[in-house]
Amino acid sequence: MSWLSYLRSAVADAEGLQLKIDLHLEAFEPLACLEQWQRQLAASGPSTNASAAESVFIGRVRAAAADGTPLLALELEHYPGMTERQLQQLATGCCARHGVGSCLVQHRIGRVLPGEAIVLVAIGADRRGPAQRCCQELLEALKHDAPFWKREWRRDGTGEWLTSNTPL
Amino acid sequence: MGEPSAAGIRIRLFAGLQEQAGWAERQWTADALVEATLTPRQLWQTLQLPGELNSVRVAINQQFAAADTPLLPGDELAFLPPISGG
Repeated sequence: MSWLSYLRSAVADAEGLQLKIDLHLEAFEPLACLEQWQRQLAASGPSTNASAAESVFIGRVRAAAADGTPLLALELEHYPGMTERQLQQLATGCCARHGVGSCLVQHRIGRVLPGEAIVLVAIGADRRGPAQRCCQELLEALKHDAPFWKREWRRDGTGEWLTSNTPL
Repeated sequence: MGEPSAAGIRIRLFAGLQEQAGWAERQWTADALVEATLTPRQLWQTLQLPGELNSVRVAINQQFAAADTPLLPGDELAFLPPISGG
């Protein structure tokens, strides 16, 4: 596994939420992260490993820029400190509202190539409804309320900051 | 503007806003804080930052805040252009 973890903040809150959030400076393999996360949950006890429902979202960089031209790379800037804090607040709040048991958030920063994973969200819960709703709500929250900024780099060497997210 | 001071206000810009303004970080000196209540809105205007304030979000000490929140010595103020994560 060749990914570098830039930030590691795994916590278990008072209500037993298993939470892990990482920012990656280099490419990460989402399925390998999921496997590692499952092992970590299993090691923490049978109750947290027993999620009957899991919802997983993997987001990858498109091959084309917003204007349809070929994309060379996506640059992801963030606000060190505030980004980590916001991710933590958004995740704990969302998980509490939906009553889920585990939450994994992995997000890239830096230069990301087309096809590479940019975000992974995995929610474990007792039922599919809370798992799916929490996964979607948290994904939308981190798209709009965590300080990340994307710049598209085109093959002609020009770059442009995006000022909005793609439609849901 | 002056030399960095622990009692001043650290002002930070990011992404496209940083490039439009031509700077990433400045320190608002403590002397300038002697005057009446200072807010992010006033600093935005004083610094003549590009664009409209309502097109960005304000963060004080790494928490979202209203543009009219009074600033205190030692605060870290950030103007955040439209966010595009995930």
